[in-house]
Amino acid sequence: MNTRSLKFRLVGWYAVVLLGCFGLLGAATYLALETSLMGSLTETLFRRARQIAQLVWEESQRQAEAEVGQEIQARYSPDLNERFVRISRADGATLYLSPAPKSQSFDPATLPPPQWSARTETSRVAALVGGRRMLLAAHKLQLPGGARYLIETGAPMDEVQADLRKWLKFLLAMLPAVAAVALGGGYVLVKRALSPVDQIAASAQRISSHNLSERLPVARTGDELERLSVALNHMIERLDAAFQYSRRFVADASHELRTPLTVLQGELESLAQEPNLTPEWRDRLGSALEEVGRLANIVDGLFAISRLDAGEAAAEWVPFDLAQLASATADQMSLLAEDKKIQVTCSGATGVWVEGDRARLKQVVVNLLDNAIKYTPDNGAVGLTVKAQGTKAVLEVEDNGMGIPPEELPQVFDRFFRVDKARSRDQGGAGLGLSIVKSICAAHQGRVEASSTLGRGSRFRVELPLVPIKTNHNHSQRNHEQ
Amino acid sequence: MLLVEDEKKVADFVARGLRAERFAVDVAYDGTTAWDMASGTEYDLIILDLMLPGMSGTELLRRLRRQGKTAAVLVLTARDATADKVQNFEAGADDYLTKPFAFAELLVRVKALLRRPPTHRTHELRVGDLEIDRLTQQVRRGGRRLELTGKEYALLEYLAANAGRVLSRTMIVEHVWDESFESLTNIVDVYVRHLRTKVDDPFPTKLIQTVRGVGYCLGEAVPA
Repeated sequence: MNTRSLKFRLVGWYAVVLLGCFGLLGAATYLALETSLMGSLTETLFRRARQIAQLVWEESQRQAEAEVGQEIQARYSPDLNERFVRISRADGATLYLSPAPKSQSFDPATLPPPQWSARTETSRVAALVGGRRMLLAAHKLQLPGGARYLIETGAPMDEVQADLRKWLKFLLAMLPAVAAVALGGGYVLVKRALSPVDQIAASAQRISSHNLSERLPVARTGDELERLSVALNHMIERLDAAFQYSRRFVADASHELRTPLTVLQGELESLAQEPNLTPEWRDRLGSALEEVGRLANIVDGLFAISRLDAGEAAAEWVPFDLAQLASATADQMSLLAEDKKIQVTCSGATGVWVEGDRARLKQVVVNLLDNAIKYTPDNGAVGLTVKAQGTKAVLEVEDNGMGIPPEELPQVFDRFFRVDKARSRDQGGAGLGLSIVKSICAAHQGRVEASSTLGRGSRFRVELPLVPIKTNHNHSQRNHEQ
Repeated sequence: MLLVEDEKKVADFVARGLRAERFAVDVAYDGTTAWDMASGTEYDLIILDLMLPGMSGTELLRRLRRQGKTAAVLVLTARDATADKVQNFEAGADDYLTKPFAFAELLVRVKALLRRPPTHRTHELRVGDLEIDRLTQQVRRGGRRLELTGKEYALLEYLAANAGRVLSRTMIVEHVWDESFESLTNIVDVYVRHLRTKVDDPFPTKLIQTVRGVGYCLGEAVPA
């Protein structure tokens, strides 16, 4: 999983925030529950203390102070209810102390002594042996005769603590479910929120120099996504304008360059036709004409590349067998290889169908073979392979020539690039052949790559989209050999 | 014929060359003049540049065709974009030539358009003691049979059919191979060399002539 991705981070944050909220809420409910339970317990204890105070008051009216204990026992039986009751007089004597409860959960005798305070009612928490605690509520009673009593009631806090523990357990049990909902919900939300971004990316991917007039779909949501697609569209517009400008420039430059070349060639040719020229003059004119020819070739090549890169529509777009095209082309060029005693072998499948401009793809084969033959020494070997590989038609031209130094490999498709500057000119060409190959491949949604071992040979690999095989439909290739 | 070309220098040497070949040539330097001339006269052939002041070549062509003019039209242009070609063929062009061009090539195309075949259209071609039978594709020189491969034969036949005329490498490539080989004019040199070893080497008189900077020519001497 890509931990740096926006999706991952958003889901992460979302889950953390949601779990944090859950934690806070849990803590708040826990505290509220504790307060409420303690409050109601305290209230109960105070009520009982007041009732007992009433009893003490009534009994003292009847001068029957000693019967208070019996009365309490009879009315409230604190030992059966796990309650604690103690009545102390101001002189320190204990008027009544409830017996130990049945469960022996606490020993009333060991509880801390009463605490007199100025207020009528106070409550406190007393620690019991064994780490347990007891809530004590005290009520101060002042009789008209001046006698003062402190009536204390108490209850162990076990029940409250058990309830709180139950709540905590419930919260913890809910945690995985909440975490799952947070992660799942977050993932779905983020995915939905980011899906327009994916769409924009996919649309942007489809737009290349060949279809710059297309625009991205703009979601009218008034948010960041709309701004993003609008901004991208503006950028594509500017690119489109730049491309159109350069296309116009190429057309103009083409015209401006070709016209003087035409004049030059025409005038030189008519001069060369002069009957009484010395052979030396004829030779010089011929040399000048050769240069004009080369210049015209360069202009042609450059403009061909520019037009291909600008995505100009191909002359034709038909399905054809790349293997057949390759072998027929190799056949036509066999003499070039024979001239250098180079063995050209054609291998691979037949019926490798691709779609496109046949003349231009043929030029790919021509240029690659020409290149291979040119840079392979006499008696070398050049291999041409065509095969189908997955959804790709693959054409490979391999030679055992001088190879290309690794540091120059990335540049072989650059315009005017030559591996061996010294042997350039007389080999013909201006270093545009491979650039043209690259541009043609790109115009066919394909690609070309070069690999090489210095001194042992090079391999050029062309990949084009394969079209579904047609069987009974035998497009017979017009063979120029006929 | 009418030559419409706004570049005076191009127009000059084309007109000069065509007149030397005994064609009657009128020249117009802009679209509107050309329209006036072409709509009033029946020309056999119009050589038309596309980028013209006044009226574009394509527009002129469309108007002429709408008027029912049947003159053959050879379009000259500096733009060889495929879309342009298609557009102009649709407008009624008969042939297309991209600048810069060899005058020899222009001449061959002009003659083809005027339906004046460069040589007699018989099945027997004869240059010096070289005989080519187009039906059986057999080649003899001095009575001796020469064994040629398919491409060698195609090359020799093209040279022989235009005997005495200099053919540029581009013309040869386009005729014998196809436009995919245009960048590869040295293929012509290689084939010519092979052809020479069969056609010329065994004989004292050399028939295949090299015209430097221009191309090749079949004949007993380089034409002046």
